[in-house]
Amino acid sequence: MAVYKRRYTPYTGSLTPEWSRFFVLTRYALADLFNSRFFVLLLVLSLVPCLFFAGYIFIANNKTVQLLLPMGPADMFSVEARFFTIVMIVQTQAAFLLNCWVGPVLIAGDLTNGALPLFLSRPFGRADYVLGKLAVLGLLLSAATWVPCLLLFTLQAGLAKDGWIWSHLWMVVPIVLCSAIWILMLSLISLAVSAWVKLRIVATGVVFILFFIPAGVGEMFNSIMGTYWGRLLNFSYMFRLILAKGFRGPSVRLLGSLDWNEIPIPAAWGVLVFVCLLSLLILDARLRAREAVRG
Amino acid sequence: MMNPTIELNGLEVQLGGRTILHGLTGVLKSRAIGLLGLNGAGKSTLINTLLGFHSPSKGSARILGLNSHTNGKALRSLVGYMPENDAFISKMSGVRFVRYMAEISGLPPDQAMERAHEAFVYVGLGEARYRPVGTYSLGMKQLAKLAQAIAHGPKVLILDEPTNGMDPPARQRLIELIREIREANDICLLLSAHLLRDVEETCDEVLILRNGQIASICNLVEERRANRKFLELETVGAEATFTSTLEGLGCECAVFTNGRIKVVMPDSVEIREVFKVAADRGVQIRRMNHRRDSLEDIFLNAMEQTGAADGRI
Repeated sequence: MAVYKRRYTPYTGSLTPEWSRFFVLTRYALADLFNSRFFVLLLVLSLVPCLFFAGYIFIANNKTVQLLLPMGPADMFSVEARFFTIVMIVQTQAAFLLNCWVGPVLIAGDLTNGALPLFLSRPFGRADYVLGKLAVLGLLLSAATWVPCLLLFTLQAGLAKDGWIWSHLWMVVPIVLCSAIWILMLSLISLAVSAWVKLRIVATGVVFILFFIPAGVGEMFNSIMGTYWGRLLNFSYMFRLILAKGFRGPSVRLLGSLDWNEIPIPAAWGVLVFVCLLSLLILDARLRAREAVRG
Repeated sequence: MMNPTIELNGLEVQLGGRTILHGLTGVLKSRAIGLLGLNGAGKSTLINTLLGFHSPSKGSARILGLNSHTNGKALRSLVGYMPENDAFISKMSGVRFVRYMAEISGLPPDQAMERAHEAFVYVGLGEARYRPVGTYSLGMKQLAKLAQAIAHGPKVLILDEPTNGMDPPARQRLIELIREIREANDICLLLSAHLLRDVEETCDEVLILRNGQIASICNLVEERRANRKFLELETVGAEATFTSTLEGLGCECAVFTNGRIKVVMPDSVEIREVFKVAADRGVQIRRMNHRRDSLEDIFLNAMEQTGAADGRI
């Protein structure tokens, strides 16, 4: 199909492997996102707390600086499980905000423009499509959660002495695993909302509502019924339970109202798995090349 | 032996609890196939089923031997699809949109970019390729959709109502493009259209649907050939000797009142021989209509026959 000949010619060149094509969606979506200054600002802001945490680690490992600070005993600076739990909580909340901005536009745009038949009329399935969109959120939210957490862990390991790394290496697992759980849940929820609600503002609002309204309803239920099972509707709380368990719970007492005896960990897992499955069901129902109208 | 382009084997499709396609069976072997039917006849459902968007409740559909349901991915790797409705990514520039689609079809990024530019120039949108697709006019969007359908070099091109919303010159240009694509390459074409002329100008074979059933499968090339010498004459002074002489040449004649004669001529007889016989016999030919069965005739006939079969017409 050379331009100068203005003739159609079939393509006879090489093709990319089928398994890798989902990443085309990811690449294009990321390119579009990074064209937005607001998004770049949001991403940078989500990483700002890490600078403070890095400063904390530096001070915790530098006796000279500690002596210069008018803050009481030097041993108040400790970088242990509690510190990384706090880092994780802060960063997962930053990831939540990032997700609220990015997630709702990922599928809604394609649905509004009727572009799904174009994707699905190629050797590209619905699973590839979802995977491509999930990868966008996966990469971005990773950049705000486990990646900076591991960098902080590495920084601490580098600055600390006496084999700190070997005695704390187990923390890598909860950092990565809990981040992965949070990222997966957030991504699936926002993609499901994006597949359902086409307006960005509304979709962002719905993501917020899904996290805060059920939590409020749950607390009301607890107050009225005198129980604590209403907290099952608080997804963030369920995640924190799992996070605290991952970081060997009792060391993270400062996490406010966490009470180990209330909601069993399997129930917390069950809620998160249920939310993920429900989101997948919504995606399955909405992501169709053609809708069949009943009647 | 080469596989038929489209093979339908008792294809039944149900959507939303209703049967849309009722056991379609037929083989279409031509490289350019037109899909005709009234609104709601099941054309788009058939296309969507061929693309694997809908699963057959019974039977099967194949394109170039590949089952649309069980070999969906392999089949779609051969297909370029231009949907009927708006389908694009409005904020992307035209060329980026086509490149994106080509990459999803498996072209490496540099090749996809090259082919996207070529496709855009080819369909005549070269000047507008850097503008966001959302700013295009309806006709330009149709061309952009065609560009994304051909950029990855498909073996089967499925066009659903490609000339919808286009003005006559743009329509003509698009039809020429489609003809060019078809003639220049080993590409199969399935074109669904309301405008019979679009199908007539681009296709060799036509599948006519009515109420989800096949009303007719017609090879236009053979039809054209068969009706090449179908004459309607209005004569003065024609006697039996005139028609018997024509019959002696191998023609079939039917004589009506007022000197009207219908003549179906074999391939070996030219029209000038009819004039010669008329001159020899002193017959005046006042009017001659050298008429082929147009697609419109075939379409209306198919509608009428199936309607009669249904007891509705």
